[in-house]
Amino acid sequence: MADRRFKVKKKPSQKRPHIALLVFVLLLIAGAVFMFWPPAEKIHQGLDVQGGLSVVLQASKADGQAASADEMTSAQAIVERRVNLLGASESSVQVQGASQLLVQIPGAVNQTEALNVIGQAGVLEFIDLSTVEDTATVSVINNGTAVPREYLAGLGVLGQIKDLPTNAELFVESGLTTVNGMPTSYTLPSSVYSNPLDPNQPLPISALESGGDWTPVQLKAGPDGSIFSGSNITQVSVGRESDTSPYYAVNITLDSTGASRFGAVTTKLYPTKGKVAIVLDGFVQSAPAVQSAITNGQVAITGSYTLSQANQLKTILQSGSLPVSLSVATSQVVGPTLGQDALKAGVLVAIIGLILVALYLIFFYRGLGVLTAAAIGVFALLYLGLLALLSFFGVFSLTLSGIAGIVLAIGVAADSSILVLERFKEEIRMGRSVRASSMTGVRHAIQTSIDADLVTLISALALFFIAVGSVKGFGLTLALGVLCDIVTMLFFKAPVIRLLAPKVIGKHPGFWGIKEDEQLAQASGELKRGVQHG
Amino acid sequence: MYNMVRPFRIDRNILGLRRAFFIISGILVVAALIALPLRSLNFGIEFVGGSSMDFKSTGEITIEQMRQAFDDAQVEGPVVQTANDARTGEPGFIVRVPITDAQQASAVADQIVATLGLSDDSVEVNTINPSWGASVTQTSAIAFAVAIALIIIYIAIRFEYKMGVCAVLSLVHDLLIIVGIYAITGREMTPNVVAALLTIMGYSLYDAVVVFHRINDNMSNTASHSFMTVANHSINQVLMRTINTTLASLIPVLAMLFFGGETLRDFAFAMSIGLILGSYSSIAIATPLYALWKQREPKFKRLRNKFGEGLDEFTVAEQLGE
Repeated sequence: MADRRFKVKKKPSQKRPHIALLVFVLLLIAGAVFMFWPPAEKIHQGLDVQGGLSVVLQASKADGQAASADEMTSAQAIVERRVNLLGASESSVQVQGASQLLVQIPGAVNQTEALNVIGQAGVLEFIDLSTVEDTATVSVINNGTAVPREYLAGLGVLGQIKDLPTNAELFVESGLTTVNGMPTSYTLPSSVYSNPLDPNQPLPISALESGGDWTPVQLKAGPDGSIFSGSNITQVSVGRESDTSPYYAVNITLDSTGASRFGAVTTKLYPTKGKVAIVLDGFVQSAPAVQSAITNGQVAITGSYTLSQANQLKTILQSGSLPVSLSVATSQVVGPTLGQDALKAGVLVAIIGLILVALYLIFFYRGLGVLTAAAIGVFALLYLGLLALLSFFGVFSLTLSGIAGIVLAIGVAADSSILVLERFKEEIRMGRSVRASSMTGVRHAIQTSIDADLVTLISALALFFIAVGSVKGFGLTLALGVLCDIVTMLFFKAPVIRLLAPKVIGKHPGFWGIKEDEQLAQASGELKRGVQHG
Repeated sequence: MYNMVRPFRIDRNILGLRRAFFIISGILVVAALIALPLRSLNFGIEFVGGSSMDFKSTGEITIEQMRQAFDDAQVEGPVVQTANDARTGEPGFIVRVPITDAQQASAVADQIVATLGLSDDSVEVNTINPSWGASVTQTSAIAFAVAIALIIIYIAIRFEYKMGVCAVLSLVHDLLIIVGIYAITGREMTPNVVAALLTIMGYSLYDAVVVFHRINDNMSNTASHSFMTVANHSINQVLMRTINTTLASLIPVLAMLFFGGETLRDFAFAMSIGLILGSYSSIAIATPLYALWKQREPKFKRLRNKFGEGLDEFTVAEQLGE
C-alpha cells in the first residue's frame, strides 16, 4: 500500500524539475526580449559600427617613468575639454589601461581637425594683454564675452533677466579675476540680471562654462607678450584666500625665469590694473587684472572661487606643466553610413548562419533537429538579452570584431546541439530506452560540451583580458556566447528532451529521427542473444 | 532502406592510412617552412604601424587612377587593392600606406577624396603608431601563449599529459601550415586573424581530446585488440559527430566569408581553414601519434605483439558489447 502510494507520487515529480526549468527559461526569454527590443536602440553600438572617430592616446613622460593615476586623470580632463571644443555630443574620453586614453567621438567628424585639437600638447601661456594686437578680442575680454540668449534660456535664468536687450545676445561682465587683490565677480550687469538662487550673489562663471554654445575666445600674444609658459610653473595648489575667507585661491609658484619675467610685467601693468590672460591651447581661460607687482614668483589668483572652481583652474594651470605628453597611438575614422553598412552585413551573416544551422540540424536530425533548432533560437534570444543588459550598464558596445565573435558563438551552439543529439542517439543504439538515454546520454553530452565550451572560454577570456585593440570585442562576445550556450543546454535542451523523451519521442521514433537507432539496437539485441545462445 | 548489415560493418581503416596522412602533412609542413623565408608574412598595420584607407563606392575609378592620386599626394609606397563591397557589390579600394602619423594620414585621405571627387563619407582611415603595433604584437603573443598553456594544463589535469602533448603536436602542425598558407597567399596577418586562429585551435585541441577519451573508454572494456585497433574503432565511432560538428560550426563562418565585410571576412578566412585543418589533424595526426605513443607502454606493447601490427577487426559480439 505504502509502496504504491510512493510510486504514484514519484511519477509527476520526475517531470516537475524539467517543467520548472522550462518555465524558468521562458521567464529568462521574456526578460531578454524585454531587454533587447528594439535591438538597434538597446544594444549599444561601438564606434566602428556607429561611425565616428576613435583615437587611442598614449601618455608618456619625458623621464621615461610611467604616468601616475593622477596625471592620467588630469590628462583625461584636458582632453575632454578639447573634445568638447569640437562641439561633438556624446563623445567620451576614458582612461584605458595604465597609460592610455581612449577618445571616442561618434558621428561625422573632420578627422584632420579633430586630431589637431586632441593630439596637440597642452600649451599654457600667460599673456600680457596690453601687447595683443587683435583689438576686437581684447575688447571682448575687457568688456565681456557674448553669451547667446538661448544659452541663458538653457540655464533657466532668462526669465530673471530684466530689461532684456533687443538683440539676441547679452554680455557677461568681464573682469574675470584679479591677481592678489580685490575680487571681481562674474556677473551680468546687475541691471540686466540677478541670480535666480540668490539675488545678491553673482552668476557663477562655472555655470556658464558648463555647456551650451559658449564660444571660447581665442588669443594670440603680441610681440614679446608671452610672459611665461606652463613649463615655468613649478607648483600649483589650492587654498583659502585667507583663514576666514569662504573663498578659495589658486596659488602658483614660478621658477626663477618665470618669476623675473612676471615681476617685470606686473611692475609695468599694476598702475593701470592691466590684465594678464591665462591661455590654454590658444583659448582664454581667465584674464585676471594685476593688482600689485609680484617679483617673488608667488602668485595667488583669487576671484570668489568655490573649491571646485579653484580646482578647475588648478587643472588648467597644471595642464601646461603636466609631465605627460600624449601621442596618437591609433586613430580610426569610420563614416556613419559605412559603419551601418558593415553592421547590416554582420546582422545578415548572423541571421543566415542561424537559419542554415537550423536547417542543417532539422535535415539531419528531423524532430530532434527541430528541438535543437528551437534551442538555437532560445540561445539567440538569451544572447541578445545579455548583450542588451550589458549595454544598459554601459560595459558593452558591439564592434565589428564582436560580430565575428557572435557568429563563431552560433557555431559553438550548433556544435553542442550536435553533441547532445549524437550522444542521445548513440545510447539508443546501445539498446537503452529512450527515457534512459535522455537522462544519461544528455548528461554525458553536456559534460563533453561544457568541457569544450570551457576550452573556448579560456581562449576568449585570454583575448579579452590580455590582448589590446579590436580583438577584445571578439573575445568578449565569444565568451558571452559560450555562457549563453551553457545556460541554454542546462535549462532548455536537457529538460525539453527529457520531458518529451518517454511519451512523445519514444512513441514517434520516425518523426524524431531515432527509428534507425532503435532498429539497430533491436537487431543487435537479437544477434547478441543469438551469439550468447550459440 | 534499412540495412541489416550496418551494425556489423567493418570499421573504416582510417588509422591504416596514417603513413599517408603523415606524408601529406609532412609535405605541407615542409612546403610551409620553405615558403616562409621566401615569401615573408604580410603583417597588417595593426602589428607594424602604418595607415589603411578604405575607400567605398568608388564608381568608375580605376586602380591606376587611385595610384595616380596617391602619387599626386606624394605618398610613397601605397599598396592599392580593390575591395568590392560584399553585400552591395559596389567597387572600392583598400590602400595601405606607411604613414604612421594620424594627422598626416587623414590629411592625405582628405586630399585623395577631393582629387577623385568622392563623397566625404566614403573613406575610412585607420592609423596605427608603430609603438602601439609593438604592444599589439606583444599582447597578442602573450594572449596566445597563455591561452594555449591554460588549455594544455586543463587537458593535462582533466585527462592525461600524453593527450596534451599529442594534441599540441597536431596544433603545431596546424599552425605551421596555416602560417604557410598566409605566406603563400600573401594574405594579411592581423590581430583578428590571430584571435580567430587561437579560438579555433583551442577548439580543435579539444576535438582531439574527445577522440583520445573515447579510445581510453573503449580500451578499458577490451583486452583482445591492439591499441591501434581500438583507436581506429573509436575514430569511427566519433567520425560522424566530428564531421557534423565541424560542418555546423563552419556554416555560420562560411556565411561570414561570403556575406561579411572586410573585417568579418578576415576572421572568417582564418576560422574556415582553422576548422578544416583542426578536424583533419585531430584524426590524421593527433590520434595516430597518441596511439603510437601509447603502444609503447608495456601493457599495450604486449597487446601489439599478440595481435600484430595491422588492424584487426572487432567481432560482432564486441561491437554489441558496449
